[in-house]
Amino acid sequence: MTQPKLELVALRKEYDGGDVVAVDGIDLTVERGETVALLGPSGCGKSTTLNMIVGLEEPTAGDIHIDGRSVIGLAPGKRNIGLVFQDYAVFTHMTVAKNLSFGLEIGGLPRSEITRRVGEAAELLGLSSLLKEKAAYLGGSQLQRVAIGRTLVTQPAILLLDEPLSNLEAEARQAMRRELRRLQGKIGLTIIYVTHDQTEALSLADRIAVMSAGKIRQYDRTSTVYGDPAHVFVAGFIGSPSMNLVRGEIRRDGPAISFISDQLQVPLPSRFAGVAPGHGEPVIFGIRPENIMITRPGHPGVTGIVSSVEPRGPEAIVTVRSGNKSLDVVVPAADRPARGDEVVLRIPADHIVLFSGETDRNLSLSPILGAAA
Amino acid sequence: MSDRPLTMPLALVLALAVIVTLFPVFWIVMTAIKPPTDWNAVPAIWVPGEPTLVNFRTLFDPEALGVYGVGGVSEAATQAVFGSLLASIVATALSVGIGLAAAIAISRYSGGGRATPLVILSGRMFPPAAIAVPFVIIFSTIGLIDTYFGLIAIYIAVTLPFSTWMLKSFVDEVPKEVEEAAMIDGMTRVKAHLTVTIPLIKGGLFATTLFIFILNWSEFLFALVLSYTTIETIPVRLAKYVTATAGTLYGVQAALAVLAMIPLVIAGFLIQNHLARGMTFGAVKR
Repeated sequence: MTQPKLELVALRKEYDGGDVVAVDGIDLTVERGETVALLGPSGCGKSTTLNMIVGLEEPTAGDIHIDGRSVIGLAPGKRNIGLVFQDYAVFTHMTVAKNLSFGLEIGGLPRSEITRRVGEAAELLGLSSLLKEKAAYLGGSQLQRVAIGRTLVTQPAILLLDEPLSNLEAEARQAMRRELRRLQGKIGLTIIYVTHDQTEALSLADRIAVMSAGKIRQYDRTSTVYGDPAHVFVAGFIGSPSMNLVRGEIRRDGPAISFISDQLQVPLPSRFAGVAPGHGEPVIFGIRPENIMITRPGHPGVTGIVSSVEPRGPEAIVTVRSGNKSLDVVVPAADRPARGDEVVLRIPADHIVLFSGETDRNLSLSPILGAAA
Repeated sequence: MSDRPLTMPLALVLALAVIVTLFPVFWIVMTAIKPPTDWNAVPAIWVPGEPTLVNFRTLFDPEALGVYGVGGVSEAATQAVFGSLLASIVATALSVGIGLAAAIAISRYSGGGRATPLVILSGRMFPPAAIAVPFVIIFSTIGLIDTYFGLIAIYIAVTLPFSTWMLKSFVDEVPKEVEEAAMIDGMTRVKAHLTVTIPLIKGGLFATTLFIFILNWSEFLFALVLSYTTIETIPVRLAKYVTATAGTLYGVQAALAVLAMIPLVIAGFLIQNHLARGMTFGAVKR
């Protein structure tokens, strides 16, 4: 673990002579054997980052180190990186066996070695019975397994997966996710996984880099990204329903500190006294819907009217309007109030997160911690 | 393909389509094997009572032609057949070859910018007759008139917009990721085109080749105005079987037309499967 497997240094990609910045100076370190997810909405620059790592696109600035050596200018085939494409990129005019052996034949491996490795990969991915089949006749999840297989046989140092499951149906996606986790454990590859699906990222990755607008907003352990979002974007992006975020300002009254936004007023615990800005300064208040509790009128808390109830199986998402602000609350379906009910929301002090109204960064995390780890 | 049974109305429409398509072929073939007395017979003789190959013999026998007193042609049709084969095959090969390179360049590298495909197509935005006369003058001046080189050059210029556009649509259908996958496996970009892209558009390539070949094979206008005595193609030759004494030699014309059909029919049958695939390429699973 002395040397990271992959290191991105101030990586930047511009298009149209600088008019469009797809990747805006990102730093990322991936350790050997680690699975890292690049998570973000479409257009955030995650696929461009992947293409630069594999060598299909040249960065405008910055550097890429693999095993400590820069790979800038090296042809894609010379970087020892495998990439599984979103659209599979299986050679449909060839058989499954031919697809699997393609990269090895280009590499000029002896026939016996090729046969052995293709056999192994087919075994691992459950493709043994399909080897003689033309790839054009395969279904989605089979194609996906061929795509992963043809990459695995070349024994890449790093495996990149670009939204590999997004074209599959829900059931096949579940199965494939299990399969990927199994592979992960079995061969201990270094994997970088690009996805816009947070469930996929949360279930597969050791660390998640959340990207938006070409920047990494947070790069941390999966649980940390969920529990301690470093940036308003991360808070809003991770979790379903997403975190309640309310713009307002700080009110200081002697030692007491509270958040206020029009009629909505929430007392803040003393841990914010040191990190929050001064009286009247803008902040963004955050609380996860599953952390809020609904009580009857008369209790202390935020009073509001239920404006919508959306059942979701065992749970329901209740939207409560207080003044001109709305807060989502997740409650057990059995306990859900009706539309129009007056309720009181209890907001546990422990779960409150404050973001700077100017930088959108989490006020409780030091700036260095909040940036790339 | 569905397995729905052929209903009566459907069968009628199909029969009509087949009749309309095949009647001219039937008529030409019948005329080709009619003796001269039956060519213009009234009422028409649909199927000759005594089929004969005399028309085919006449094609390649100058003396037999002489009997009809054909003014323009006194030599065998061999040269026209040879000329058509040479011009069509060479022009088709080059047109498809250049078109393929252009298609890949446009589709994959945005070669020449966004306007390139339209600029290439603009070569087809006026009737060929409009440029025929200028080309006669230009080619006379630079000594290309009445040469196969000149005729082939014109054929390539005229068909290139078609081959480029058709092939571009096929290349567009191939996801660029499959090429990138091959590059990650260690191939150069050019090699990825050769081993992955081109095999994947094989059906389209066959369809385009056949289409361009038909265009060249049946081209009449340029072949007529750009040839004097040295070069000749089948369509030009067909127009020459007119005599002062015996009128148009329909049977001889038909015989040559039948010969001209043969390579297309054979090619059509050979690449039938690819053709169907090429025409429905958008349906291929990606």
